[in-house]
Amino acid sequence: MAQRTIPTFGLKIRAPRDFFGGLVLIVIGLIALWTTQDLTGMRGFAFGPATAPRMFAWLLIAAGAGVSLTGLLTDGEKIEPYAVRGPLFVLVGILVFAATIRPLGMVIASYVTFLISIFGSSEMRWVESFIAAAVMTAFCVGLFVYLLQLPFQLWPAFF
Amino acid sequence: MTDLLANLALGFQVAANPYNLGFCLLGALVGTLVGVLPGIGTVATVAMLLPITFGLPPVGALIMLAGIYYGAQYGGSTTSILVNIPGEATSVITCLDGHQMARQGRAGAALSISAIGSFFAGCVSTVLVAALGAPLTSLALLFGPAEYFSLMVLGLIFAVVLAKGSVLKAIAMILTGLLLSMVGSDLETGVGRMTFDVTELSDGIGFTNVAMGLFGFAEIIRNLEMSQESRDIVKAKISGLMPTRQDLIDSAGAIVRGTALGSLLGILPGGGAVVASFAAYTFEKRISKHPERFGRGEIRGVAAPESANNAAAQTSFIPLLTLGIPPNAVMALMVGAMTIHGIVPGPQVMVKQPELFWGMISSMWLGNLMLVIINLPLVGVWVSLLRVPYRLLYPSIIVFCCIGIYSINNSPTDVVISAIFGLFGYWLVKHDFEPAPLVLAFVLGPLMEENLRRAMLIARGDATVFATRPISAGLLLVSLFLLVLAVLPMIRKRRDEVFVE
Repeated sequence: MAQRTIPTFGLKIRAPRDFFGGLVLIVIGLIALWTTQDLTGMRGFAFGPATAPRMFAWLLIAAGAGVSLTGLLTDGEKIEPYAVRGPLFVLVGILVFAATIRPLGMVIASYVTFLISIFGSSEMRWVESFIAAAVMTAFCVGLFVYLLQLPFQLWPAFF
Repeated sequence: MTDLLANLALGFQVAANPYNLGFCLLGALVGTLVGVLPGIGTVATVAMLLPITFGLPPVGALIMLAGIYYGAQYGGSTTSILVNIPGEATSVITCLDGHQMARQGRAGAALSISAIGSFFAGCVSTVLVAALGAPLTSLALLFGPAEYFSLMVLGLIFAVVLAKGSVLKAIAMILTGLLLSMVGSDLETGVGRMTFDVTELSDGIGFTNVAMGLFGFAEIIRNLEMSQESRDIVKAKISGLMPTRQDLIDSAGAIVRGTALGSLLGILPGGGAVVASFAAYTFEKRISKHPERFGRGEIRGVAAPESANNAAAQTSFIPLLTLGIPPNAVMALMVGAMTIHGIVPGPQVMVKQPELFWGMISSMWLGNLMLVIINLPLVGVWVSLLRVPYRLLYPSIIVFCCIGIYSINNSPTDVVISAIFGLFGYWLVKHDFEPAPLVLAFVLGPLMEENLRRAMLIARGDATVFATRPISAGLLLVSLFLLVLAVLPMIRKRRDEVFVE
């Protein structure tokens, strides 16, 4: 098992999945508390905007602490290694779509997104990918623009 | 009774309108098409296809969604039977005997029995929804804010109890979902909460973005990790689509029992369909004279869970349409769709928009019928779809999802948000957290907060109101009971583990 340098007060992390999962939840709860610190809480017996978020944030911190504690006290599984290639290319593909759909239009955005995200798999083949990307782009244009009549810009504005 | 018939007649009038019929057909087809794809469950399918219904009129959109839902479910069982990959928890059980049947060359019989069972279940539960809708709506009038809050607590506890694995983790997911739902403007004061000064977030996080990220993108990233060669598609040609007379006789009882069990469990909030299929299978195995045949291609083991699953799926519309509370993740998506069309699900839908309410109920039945008529002959097409390699499939799904998300608000930010949730979903899976309770809580969050605030305001800050009002107290007691029931075996197991050491 990997050696971690997080102080656990002499306890061994027996279920890293639970332990670190719980820690992240605690952090999420703390972030929620931090972002709502400027908002008003209870006013008399009426809830303010921050009352409910703070309530649930504290509960989440408690639950996260519980999950972490379970990770210290009971045996559990190791964290599976995170893949890099799959998430990276999928994520980049989606972000490129978000960046290009406005300026370049749907045809280019779809085609490029397809070609980027296909790199997420190690089984990629070139020719096949180009053809499949074209087919999928055509299908989407047909479905969304012609069949469903959604107002999409197909090509770049300067085209 | 006459009321019921008149209402159903109105419903069929709406549903039989050629346009709506077309939407229903299109929904069922597209739903099956996407649902068949391995690794994509019902929730993911509905989430992916949600955006394509937004351009339609409300009635048509909801009818199409209902079609998508049934199609997705049917597609899921096709995949389970032919490839042994359950798209979702509800189809896990179908894999056991369905895939064995397919290996014995009886895939056709398994598929058609599952369709016929689903259709029968659909018929019964459609009538049930229509019959129970009105009385339950009057029940809803007894509900004040405190009762609504407690009912939602019950629904969330149900989701916790049914989630796989640790109860504590499921509770943590519920709380995360509730917290995420509070991002955006405050209901009463309009102050931005947890928005990090991002303008796009002041409207809150879009539900489809969350669902698409957690169920669509995360699932893809996850699938990419696994070897794609492990798929075991039944290669044999599917012959003899129609079940034999013996098959029908064998499975008739199982279908009826599965339907009864499923209808009952579906009404309960918190994800009845999964329990229903498990319960029906276990029940069938227990009363069978040959329990050893189960798991080896017993047709009853396909018929019972498939009928139960469909019956439950249908009756789970009851709490949604009458009380406005989605009992599971798919219904939560339905609420999202309704809200986008300006419909607030709840008791008023039935009174104010009868054609929508009854039209949707009738179209459920029509959707089921279409699945039987259209999908059985199309099995060959679905099979060939299963042969498309995943390396080409997943980029297509990504592109499709991106366009879908973008089309909702024409907002690139939404696409980015769903990508973030995709990554978050991947992280959740790595740490054994289940996304379904999170999504349910995310949808219920605003409703819960609103009712909590109102109840507290009416009671002048006295939190005991939830315990002193009888209905509310009853609901909370049931929640507590369920929670204890779920935690007890876990404690016992833990103790056993300790003893083993």
